[in-house]
Amino acid sequence: MKGKSEYKKSLWIRIWKQRYFHLFVLLGVLFLLLFNYLPMFGILMAFKDYKIQSGIMGIFTSKFVGLKHFNAFFTDYQFGHLMYNTIMLSIAKIVFLFPLPIFLAIVLSEVRNRTIKRVVQTVSYLPYFISWVIVAGFCQILLSTTNGVLNDAISALAGQKLQILTSPKYFMPLAVITALWKETGWWTIIFLAAITSIDPTLYEAAEIDGASRLRRISNITLPGILPTITVVLILALGSLLGGGLSGSNFEQSYLLGNGANQDASRIIQTYVLDIGLAQGRYSYAAAAGLFQSVISVALVLISNFIARKTTGEGLF
Amino acid sequence: MRRANRRTMEDKVLDAIIFAILAVVFVASVYPFFLAIVLSFNEGLDAQLGGIYLWPRKPTLQNYEQLFKDLSWVKAIGVTAARTVLGSFLTVMFTSVVAYGLSQRELIGRKAYMGVIIFAMYFSGGIIPYYAVLRSLRLLNSFAVYIAPSLLNIFYMLVAISFFQGLPSELNESARIDGAGEIKIFSSIVIPVSLPLIATIAIFTSVGHWNSWYDSAFFIQNDNLRTLAYKLMAVIRRSYVDFNSAAATEAGTRIKATSLSVQLAAMTIAVTPILAVYPFFQRYIIAGTTLGSVKG
Repeated sequence: MKGKSEYKKSLWIRIWKQRYFHLFVLLGVLFLLLFNYLPMFGILMAFKDYKIQSGIMGIFTSKFVGLKHFNAFFTDYQFGHLMYNTIMLSIAKIVFLFPLPIFLAIVLSEVRNRTIKRVVQTVSYLPYFISWVIVAGFCQILLSTTNGVLNDAISALAGQKLQILTSPKYFMPLAVITALWKETGWWTIIFLAAITSIDPTLYEAAEIDGASRLRRISNITLPGILPTITVVLILALGSLLGGGLSGSNFEQSYLLGNGANQDASRIIQTYVLDIGLAQGRYSYAAAAGLFQSVISVALVLISNFIARKTTGEGLF
Repeated sequence: MRRANRRTMEDKVLDAIIFAILAVVFVASVYPFFLAIVLSFNEGLDAQLGGIYLWPRKPTLQNYEQLFKDLSWVKAIGVTAARTVLGSFLTVMFTSVVAYGLSQRELIGRKAYMGVIIFAMYFSGGIIPYYAVLRSLRLLNSFAVYIAPSLLNIFYMLVAISFFQGLPSELNESARIDGAGEIKIFSSIVIPVSLPLIATIAIFTSVGHWNSWYDSAFFIQNDNLRTLAYKLMAVIRRSYVDFNSAAATEAGTRIKATSLSVQLAAMTIAVTPILAVYPFFQRYIIAGTTLGSVKG
C-alpha cells in the first residue's frame, strides 16, 4: 500500500519535472482538438438537420433524422455519374501515373553525363512546386482553341483544333496528362534514390558475363527497386479517391472543370463544396462527404493490411 | 574504359533513345513557364493573333503596368507575401516545439500522445464540419484563417521528432547540469543545430502558403484578403466562359493589354519567387523527399 502511494507520488514528481515537455505537447493536442477532433464530432451533422447559425453546439442539439441525407444522396440523379467520375479519375491517374516515374528513373540512371542528368532531373520536378492554378493557366495558353500553342500544332497535323478544355470527352486525358506533367519528376526522385542504392558490383559482374544493358535493367535494376515500388503503390492505393500519389483530384476537378465539361469533371469532392458552401445544404453535403471518407478509410485500412502481409511493415 | 571501347549497336541505339526522352522531358517541363513569361511581355492584343511561340513579337511592359495599377492584384500579392512569411515562421516554430516535447523518450504518456496525433493524421471530419468549426471559432473572413489552421503539420512533426531524437544527448545534458531551463535549452542549443531540418520544413510550408487558393476561395469573402493564387483562379475560371469578350472591351483604347495578358503577368509574378529560390534549395528539396521514409 505504502509502496504504491509512494510510486504515485513519484509519478507526479516525474511529470512535474517534465512539465515543459508536457506543456509543449499539450499545445499540439489542443490544436488537434480544435482543428481535427472537433470537425470529426461535426460528422454527426450528416445524421441531423443542421443549421449553420446554431454554431458548434447546434451539431449536438439539432434534430436527428437518421439516414435521410444519405438516402437523398444515393437517389440523387447525379449520384451515378459522380461516383463514376470520382472512381474513374482516381483509377486512370494511378494506372498512368504510377509507371512513369519508374521509367524516368531508369532512363536517368542510364545517363552517363552527370551534368545532363542533373539538369534534366532538376527541371523535371520543378512543376511539383507550382500551384494547380498556374497549371490551369498553362493549359489555357497551350490548349485553348484561340491560339493555344499545342492546339495550333494539333490543327497543323490533324486539320482541326480540339475542344480540349471545354469538352467532357477530353477531361479525363487532360487530368491524367497534367498530373503526369506535375508529379512525375517528384516521384522519380524516390525511385532514382532506390536505384542508386543498388550494389554496383552486381552491374560489373553482369557486364563481365556479357549481359546487355536491357538485360541488366530487367534483371538487376527492376528487382532492386521492387520493394520501393511496392511501398509507393500501397501508399497510392490508400489515397486512391483523393487522386493517388498526386492527391490532386479536387484541384483538377475544380480548376480544369467548367460548365462545358462538368459531365466528366464533377466529382464527389467538388459536389460537396458546391452543395454545402454555395447552396448552404450543410447536412446533405456532410453526408455525401462522409460517404467518400468511409470508402477512403476502407482503402487505407485494406492497403495497410496488404502492406503488412507483403512487406511485413504497415503505415500504422 | 572497356565499356567505351566496346560500344555495341545496342548501346548506341539506347543512348539515342535516352537522349530523345531527356530532351522531351526537358522541353515539356520548361516550355510552359517559358511561354507564359514570353506572352506576359508581349502586347495582349497582338498576342491574340497567335503565332508567338519562342519570343515576344511586340515587347512591352504594359501588362505589368496594368497589373500594378489594379490595387486588388497589389493587395493580393501583399496578403500572399504576408501569409507566406508569417505563416511559415509560425508553423515551423509551433511544429518544432510540439515535436521537441514528443521527442523526449522518457516523456510520461508519450504513447497516448502519439496515438492522438497519428489518428488525426489519417482521419478527418471532412470539409463541411471543418467549415462549421472555423465559423464557430470566428476564423472565417479573417487573415488568421490563413495561419491558425496550418500551425501544426503532423507529417513534418514526425520528421522533426526523429531528427531531434537523432541529436547527441550530451548536447542538452551538459546544459541541464549547468542549470539551463528546458525552454532555454531548446531555443539556444537545439534550434541552432537543427537548421537543416528547419530550412527543409520552411521551404515546403512557404511553397504551400505562396500557392494557396483554397482557403481564400472558401473561407474568405472580404476582397481585401484574397491571395494571389485565388485571384488567378478566379480569372482563369471566368475565362472558360468568356475567353474573348473580356479582351474585346479593351480594344480600341490606347491600352493594348487584355485580361489574358494581364493574367499572364500575374502568373509570372506568382512563379518568380519559386523559380528564384529553386536552384539554391536543391539540397533541402532532396532532403524533403527522403524525409518520407522516416517513421515517428
